[in-house]
Amino acid sequence: MNELVEPPEVRASASSMKDAAGLLLEMRGISKRFPGVLALDQVDFDVRQGEVHVLFGENGAGKSTLINVIAGTYPQDGGSYHYDGAAVRGLTPHKARLMGISPVFQEFSLVPDLTVEENLFLGRERRRWGFLKAGAMRKRAAEVVSELGFDLDPKAKVRSLSRAHQQMAEIAKALMADVRLLILDEPTASLTESETYRLFELIGKLKGEGVGIIYVSHRMREIKQLADRITVLRDGRLIKTLGAEGVTENELVELMTGRKIEVLFPKIDHQPGDTLLQVSGLTTGNHSVEGVDFSARAGEVTGVAGLVGCGKSELIRAVYGVEPIHAGSITVAGEAYPHPAPSRSLQKGICYFPSDRVVEGLALSRPVRENASMAALNLEQFVKNKLLQRTSEKRIIQEIVDKLRLRPPNIERVVANLSGGNRQKVMLARGLTRKTSIFLFDEPTVGIDVGAKVEVYELMKQLVEAGAAIVLVSSELPEVLNLANRVYVMHRAHMVAELTGEDISEQNVLASFFEGDQQLAAKVQQQAGAGV
Amino acid sequence: MTSHGLETTPGGLSVSERVSRTLVAIGLLPVLLILIVVVVALVEPRFTGLNNVLNILRQTSFLAIVACGQMLVLIIGGFDLSVGAVVALTSTVMAKTMAALSAVMPGDVGMVIFLGVMAGLGSGAAIGLINGACVAFLRISPFMVTLGTLWIATGIGLILTNGIPVYGMPDEFVKQFGRALWFPGLFSERGIPATFYVAILIVALVWMVQRKTLLGRYIYAIGGNQQAAMVSGVSTTVCIISTYVLCSVLASTGGILATARLGSGQATMGGDLLMLQSIAAAVIGGVSLRGGIGRAEMVALSALFLSVLTNSMNLLRIDSKMQVVVLGIVLIAAVALDELGKRKQQRD
Amino acid sequence: MTDAAKASGLDTAKPTRQVILAQLLLPIALVVMFLGFAVVEPKVVSLGNINNILTQASYLFIFSCAQMVVIITRGFDLSIGTNVSAVSVLIALVMTGMVGPEGEGMFWAVSLGILTGLGFGLSVGLFNGVVVSWLRVNPFVTTLGSLNICLGVASMASDGRPVFHVPRAFSEIAYSGSILGIDLPILYAAGIGILLFFMLRNTVLGRALYILGSNPRAAEVAGLPRRRYLTMAYVICAVLAAVGALLLTARTGSGEPNLGGGLRLVGESIAAAVIGGVSLRGGVGGVQSVVIGALFITVLSNGMNLTRVDGYIQMIVLGAVLVAAIFLDRIRTQRI
Repeated sequence: MNELVEPPEVRASASSMKDAAGLLLEMRGISKRFPGVLALDQVDFDVRQGEVHVLFGENGAGKSTLINVIAGTYPQDGGSYHYDGAAVRGLTPHKARLMGISPVFQEFSLVPDLTVEENLFLGRERRRWGFLKAGAMRKRAAEVVSELGFDLDPKAKVRSLSRAHQQMAEIAKALMADVRLLILDEPTASLTESETYRLFELIGKLKGEGVGIIYVSHRMREIKQLADRITVLRDGRLIKTLGAEGVTENELVELMTGRKIEVLFPKIDHQPGDTLLQVSGLTTGNHSVEGVDFSARAGEVTGVAGLVGCGKSELIRAVYGVEPIHAGSITVAGEAYPHPAPSRSLQKGICYFPSDRVVEGLALSRPVRENASMAALNLEQFVKNKLLQRTSEKRIIQEIVDKLRLRPPNIERVVANLSGGNRQKVMLARGLTRKTSIFLFDEPTVGIDVGAKVEVYELMKQLVEAGAAIVLVSSELPEVLNLANRVYVMHRAHMVAELTGEDISEQNVLASFFEGDQQLAAKVQQQAGAGV
Repeated sequence: MTSHGLETTPGGLSVSERVSRTLVAIGLLPVLLILIVVVVALVEPRFTGLNNVLNILRQTSFLAIVACGQMLVLIIGGFDLSVGAVVALTSTVMAKTMAALSAVMPGDVGMVIFLGVMAGLGSGAAIGLINGACVAFLRISPFMVTLGTLWIATGIGLILTNGIPVYGMPDEFVKQFGRALWFPGLFSERGIPATFYVAILIVALVWMVQRKTLLGRYIYAIGGNQQAAMVSGVSTTVCIISTYVLCSVLASTGGILATARLGSGQATMGGDLLMLQSIAAAVIGGVSLRGGIGRAEMVALSALFLSVLTNSMNLLRIDSKMQVVVLGIVLIAAVALDELGKRKQQRD
Repeated sequence: MTDAAKASGLDTAKPTRQVILAQLLLPIALVVMFLGFAVVEPKVVSLGNINNILTQASYLFIFSCAQMVVIITRGFDLSIGTNVSAVSVLIALVMTGMVGPEGEGMFWAVSLGILTGLGFGLSVGLFNGVVVSWLRVNPFVTTLGSLNICLGVASMASDGRPVFHVPRAFSEIAYSGSILGIDLPILYAAGIGILLFFMLRNTVLGRALYILGSNPRAAEVAGLPRRRYLTMAYVICAVLAAVGALLLTARTGSGEPNLGGGLRLVGESIAAAVIGGVSLRGGVGGVQSVVIGALFITVLSNGMNLTRVDGYIQMIVLGAVLVAAIFLDRIRTQRI
């Protein structure tokens, strides 16, 4: 039906005709289907030369699918793709690179056992007769790295780099070739202020050279600073493309989520009670957490904010027992809890919901029922004399799943066929199969749609109001700011701030990163001074 | 300062820690190899006898070549169970071809040998092509594909020969190449087995492919992170197929050397034992079964280690049946130690 | 509401017919193949031959079941072949050594022989399991190592020669007898199949094996004792292989140091399981898959034997069919 209503389409294409001279990329009606999901549904998107076009949307809105189609990783199922005015068909990542399209993905396209230098040239090595020209590449790699002003050792193996340094390597890799269209997928997620600053300078310079830039982000500050135009995606559909000028944050968030911001985050009635979890001086085996003090109380949501890779996930993982602990003590409900391990944590009423549900959460090839009861196989309702109580298992899991509104509510379906939101509900069901008083959420809304997101928040509200302690670790700042009663801020493995009440704001969180850096610098200087 | 109960050196590291770090740096393998050589040489004087050394070199050459091929496939994240069968197939195809051609053109020995060798290599390459294509295009698990071609290649070899050794290869091929010692006076008075020179050349070539060529770089990249390699524009299918073909061709080369030494083509040559040995040599040489890691020179060293080990046990009159058990334990111990070392490194 | 409708529309309604078709693909292929052979050689459908097929399939079924248990955990066991050889030799030695010249002490000889065999299997399994789960050595390398060890044990104990004169009483209880007209091997296989089916479906161990194989990290995060269950999988596998070895030895009537010959038995046992739908990526498959897979391979080689296909060509056909079947299976699982 919609296809017949032409007028707005015509106008759009007419206006794009006008400045067609500067049009680098033009995509119309792009669709992409994966088993079980329509990831992109008739999306229009274009990029002009020398502009920063921000792609905005939640996780799972289709942003990464779209940039993967642009970069040639996924062939589109429908729609047209024009680059530099010419129609493009049968695009591969290799062809895309030859055309000057350079993507910087969030999941890195780096090979861990190769060096930075080898990775920079991967796919376009300098060579003669199949032999590598190592000297020439070494020289060029060093040049590029110093041009970018990144503190990177070209000879280091990628495996040994921190996440921030891997991100730099990834960006450097994208800029090795003659770039005409640069795609940046949340590039600052793990960068510090000063590194981010350098990156923005670089973007400015490239813009000046007429490079088109697609910038995926949902950080308001960056969008305000960089964007020329913004395209908002939701559930695989194009919602709106608008000029960046005069756009307000609320307007964008409402476009992104499709609902008023007040509706997105429920009002939680926090009633802080006993301290259920007390962590002091915690240092993890790999030193991603250093000497952290932290506590969580019953009846409140405790938020932990910080950049990707700052150690906030490792903190709760260590408490649950999946990250080795080097030093420090953990107290649960007043009792010391040395050497945590998942099975004992569960017995003590601690449940951890991993951020990566595919890697460590779910057994994808198994049905919902088995996934939900997985952590409760030592309870009598589920197992007697080592035999599974299948009838009672079915009944209990069905009840929980109905309560969580899994759709469709079929507990025998294989989890691999479920959407992100439903998968998260299966994870949550695990916490409801046994008596749990401390819920550790690690990025609970990554990769799930808005509807499911709201349901997850609602569930948190119910749990907290029923007296549970929730620890919410999230890189989505609004989530932490709006849901938590107390907010801890972590930065480079250290706890740098604890905010309460009125102090909980984006400004303060960001400021504490900066202060954290200064404190760390001072500490390093002190140590250096003491050493001399 | 002695609270650790260990002597500490000015650098702050204890002696044992230094030793273990040095071991990690150069690897346990060379140390073990030297240890065995020294001990056995002291206990059993025949060990250092010329004939015995030549024997070890021959065994090493054969295994090193096949293991290098296996290594490449393992690095790219695959597996090749069919190497033993390819050796057998090559042996029979080459011997048959030479025997047939010798009858047709008796004067032209050079041509007979050349065509025979080509036929042998060709049969290996064909199996490699099937392996590579099934893995790269059809994306079937390498384990199952090469299990299938293992049976196919063995079957063809047996049909060609009916299980009977094939004679009739030119004498020159056997005497001047297979059993010959080349360049007398260079390393020893009588020279060194021709096969050893071939093996050195091949290991050097594989080393160069790994270090200096695009294919080598891509093999590491694909094994380390196939998705990344693909996104970076590496044509993974071409590389995977080339690697399997290369592996089979190397196995074929091993088959040619062994056949030339034996003087007859045999469908039972190689077999499962060689396949297992080639994987053992690669794994003991530090190749990761998860892909992305491995070096030709270490695999060659590991082949030498296995040959020396077997040879020493023979000389020390350890029952050949017991030797199999020792090999099994050495294999597991090598990998277990490696794994423990890696975990310790991660913890530090 | 629209979300729910969309989700269900996309997720469930569509694939059901495909899924059913895919599930039926192999049984249909099996029947077609069987009928094909029957047209060429009518003897194929004789009662005697069908019994023959079932008996042959029983042995493969048991070994394949053993293999399945570890494949479900993402591993495999290369050592079952030489394990079988070692068990065969050991039980033959114990039995022939203990029975007196007039057949006295038969009961104890046979019982102790059986216990020795099962005990050896148990220790091999324990070794594999401990090395794989505690030392975290790759299953391939581990079982390659124990393959060598078992090979050594088999040839050392027998000195490379068959051990003849296994007591007839043993053959009677493990091979030649029949109950209600059904041959014993078939009954043993059925018994093992039923036990294993129950174990996988109704016990914590079974559930844990599937979850471990499907996602080992998730199993650990959910507090399942990974190492213990993984070790048990290898133990079950090796003990089942030992049971198979007992039955085979009863059939041959002698302890054979080459009974599990090289990789043939290992290859066929993995092939049967995978053809039947047990995924090498772990977490998928069951006894029913192995039934189909074992029948498939047995019918194929039985049919080729009866139609007088050359033994060497049979080998080639088996290899080609294996690759083709795995390929079809890959397409099938992709659809679901």
